[in-house]
Amino acid sequence: MTREHAFAEAGRTAVLQNIQGTMDFLRKYPPFAHMQDHSLSYLVERCVLRFYSQGECILKPEDGAVAHFYIVKQGLVRGERQVASENADSTFEISSGECFPLAALLGERATRTQHLAAQDTFCLQLPKAAFVKLFAECNVFRDFALRGVSSLLDQVNQQAQLTAVEHLGGSYSLDTSLADLMARSPVTCSPHTSLQAAVKSMHEQHVGSMLITDNEQRPLGIFTLRDLRRVVADGVTDFEQPINALMTPAPFALPSNASAFDAAMAMTERHIAHIAVVEGQRLVGVLSERDLFSLQRVDLVHLARAIRHAKSLQALQLLRDDIQRLVSSMLAHGASSVQVTHIITQLNDHSVARTIELAMADLGAPDVRFTWLVFGSEGRCEQTLHTDQDNGILFQCATPAEAPALRERLLPLAQRINQDLDTLGFTLCKGNIMASNPELCLSEQQWQQRFARQISSATPENLLGASIYFDLRSVYGPTDGVMRLQQFLLAHVKANTLFQRMLAENALRQRPPLGLFRDFVVAKRGAERHTLDLKVQGLTPFVDAARLLALSHDVANSSTLARFQALVERGVVDSKDAGAYEESYNFIQLTRLQLHQQQSRDGRPLSNRIDPDALNPLDRRILRESFRQAQRLQASVALRYKL
Amino acid sequence: MSIWQRWFNQAQSTLTPHELERLRLLPAAVGLGDQRLTLQRFVVMDQETTGLNTQRDKVLSIGAVVVEHGHIDMSQQFEVNLKREHNVLNPSVLIHGIAPSAAARGTPPPQALLSFMEWSGECVFLAFHAPFDQRMLARALRNQLQITLRHVFLDLAELAPMLFPDADIGRGGLDDWVEHFGLQVLARHSAAADAQVSAELALIVLKKAQQQGITTLAELNQRLHAWRRLQRSKAHA
Repeated sequence: MTREHAFAEAGRTAVLQNIQGTMDFLRKYPPFAHMQDHSLSYLVERCVLRFYSQGECILKPEDGAVAHFYIVKQGLVRGERQVASENADSTFEISSGECFPLAALLGERATRTQHLAAQDTFCLQLPKAAFVKLFAECNVFRDFALRGVSSLLDQVNQQAQLTAVEHLGGSYSLDTSLADLMARSPVTCSPHTSLQAAVKSMHEQHVGSMLITDNEQRPLGIFTLRDLRRVVADGVTDFEQPINALMTPAPFALPSNASAFDAAMAMTERHIAHIAVVEGQRLVGVLSERDLFSLQRVDLVHLARAIRHAKSLQALQLLRDDIQRLVSSMLAHGASSVQVTHIITQLNDHSVARTIELAMADLGAPDVRFTWLVFGSEGRCEQTLHTDQDNGILFQCATPAEAPALRERLLPLAQRINQDLDTLGFTLCKGNIMASNPELCLSEQQWQQRFARQISSATPENLLGASIYFDLRSVYGPTDGVMRLQQFLLAHVKANTLFQRMLAENALRQRPPLGLFRDFVVAKRGAERHTLDLKVQGLTPFVDAARLLALSHDVANSSTLARFQALVERGVVDSKDAGAYEESYNFIQLTRLQLHQQQSRDGRPLSNRIDPDALNPLDRRILRESFRQAQRLQASVALRYKL
Repeated sequence: MSIWQRWFNQAQSTLTPHELERLRLLPAAVGLGDQRLTLQRFVVMDQETTGLNTQRDKVLSIGAVVVEHGHIDMSQQFEVNLKREHNVLNPSVLIHGIAPSAAARGTPPPQALLSFMEWSGECVFLAFHAPFDQRMLARALRNQLQITLRHVFLDLAELAPMLFPDADIGRGGLDDWVEHFGLQVLARHSAAADAQVSAELALIVLKKAQQQGITTLAELNQRLHAWRRLQRSKAHA
């Protein structure tokens, strides 16, 4: 009897436990999780298990055409690729349940990446012939092999939206294009149509707006029921006059491939209820607020308007709950973290502006030209629901001597606003970074002096301050003073290389929570056991590095993503690198938002600490890769500033 | 007829002529010569037994994994439960978890052992606490098949501390090494899973041996002798 025969006989007494065990292990990871039993057992039975001690080379370009498919069973593999343009290596890491080298195997060529065991590692090794057979017979495996990691990202998104839709119901997506939302062709007329004829046409067709177009269907203006109300209120009696005298010229337009989200944003920003939809220059439709609302529960525009017109602080407070619901709904509809933080920031801005107006209505407006400044995450437009106040006041005065008196007039108002914001849920700043603090209620000139001091004497305190105050923008009041302050800031940082260096050191202070031997570095004891801080450890490295690079290269934007974009345009950061940083930043932020949603659903206090083991393997893997991008960014900062 | 002969005939009589022929054709054992470690066929085995007494207790199951050409071949796995009709329920059941009823459903011991020796072929055996496995297997082969076990056994409980003195595990058990190297055990105290994790330990140990310039079985054996002398002198010092 042959050995195989004996093996088969032995196999009858018990289905081989180690094969079963290895299959169970692989089932924890995609794509193996979705493969059928017979395909998976085919794979496992044809594998050999190899051990590589730390530092050992597993696969290298000189080995020639790749002959095996590898799955990491235990340990960590580092892929290193020499990039011709830079002297830095481009590296990536492969850990338990992940595979390599797909591209080389499919391309029937040698790998371009050297694969090293970053720690003691066991790999399952599948011969190419078996890989090819699986590729031919198992769709799940083929999809995975062809699309690689990008298919994993798709799965994450699908998964997130699926849970969301289950949670809320409904089928509307913020990504729906305007072309899909417009129900019928627009009601239009020529500029010479009489007011009476235009209104008659609107009435007959049951529409709230009339688009005025030229002979080539280019939109010239819009006339809405609101305009009609105004015309009647103004006492216009000549109903035969041409519509072009009464229309709102140059209506706001979006291309038909823009998304519902874009439309909702535009309506909120501009306080408009109708958007012309164009293809090229030609008008193809009109989208009304109601078109958006009839399809969605995301009543963003309504909410923004309600906030802007809230009659009292109590009314405003009630609307804050709606923001929470809106965010939940947006996450549910698959909105990205950029969209969500953008919306939160915008609604918070409206809330702040309305709070200021209400406070002034109550206390009386001070006779001083002032601007309400926000700093930190609010300044970067990166707020989540979990937020506290960081604000200040910039005012104008004719002479320096005048400043103290003006400040005295502003401080009571500032105090009231800070208190009211606290009532709304923007908790008071523990560090007293608030407009009611006399040191933060300054004239434009005093702000410039303060910033100059912060840059010239780089104490740890001033550096910490830089990470808050230098991410600034205005939320209420005239903007010219703030813009001058920003230009002043940029010029001073650019000229002070010592300060840049200190900022760079500061940007390396928060290390991403990745260890050599375990996936994530988590707190070892206490209430925070097994958790890591998504904000401080995950986002801060990106935020700090982006601030440093932006301030040193004349970039006035305050948001982290906008800073990366501007840095790419200036050639400071490679566009691919920036893309990777942005994706990573967004993923961490999204994870954080989802965490907050979960916490508020469970009635727990909001926190940024997450147990990575609570994530599914896919999210965990992407989170780990995101942290790795933060490490890369820090490495490039260290290189640039020779730290 | 002596009691031994009668017993001998009984045992032999449970084998068919075909099985007797297979028994005759079992390959000879290999010694610790200049076979290269990277090429040698190792069978890493583990047995679950009714207890720790090598004179009295019986083998309940055998699990084995092949390490050859420096890797574990997942397609070569051996796993068998031995039929034990009158297995007395004793505390060891708590460890191996093989109930008397399951033992009663197993393969008759002569056939199970014949299959195992045939499957193992020309190999060197590796096991954790190998002397125990060696004695248990030798007695079972002598009793059931009337053959003498001549295969060489290397003990992972010696090789591991010899090659990884810094681990400071010394006479520690398999669990200590599993923890030290972070190995994943599918099911501790099942023969197959223990054999698998022992085989993973064997891969680590053999890799280390190579890195220290040990290339053949004979060299490995020499190192073991030297190490044992050192251990003894340390113990006496």
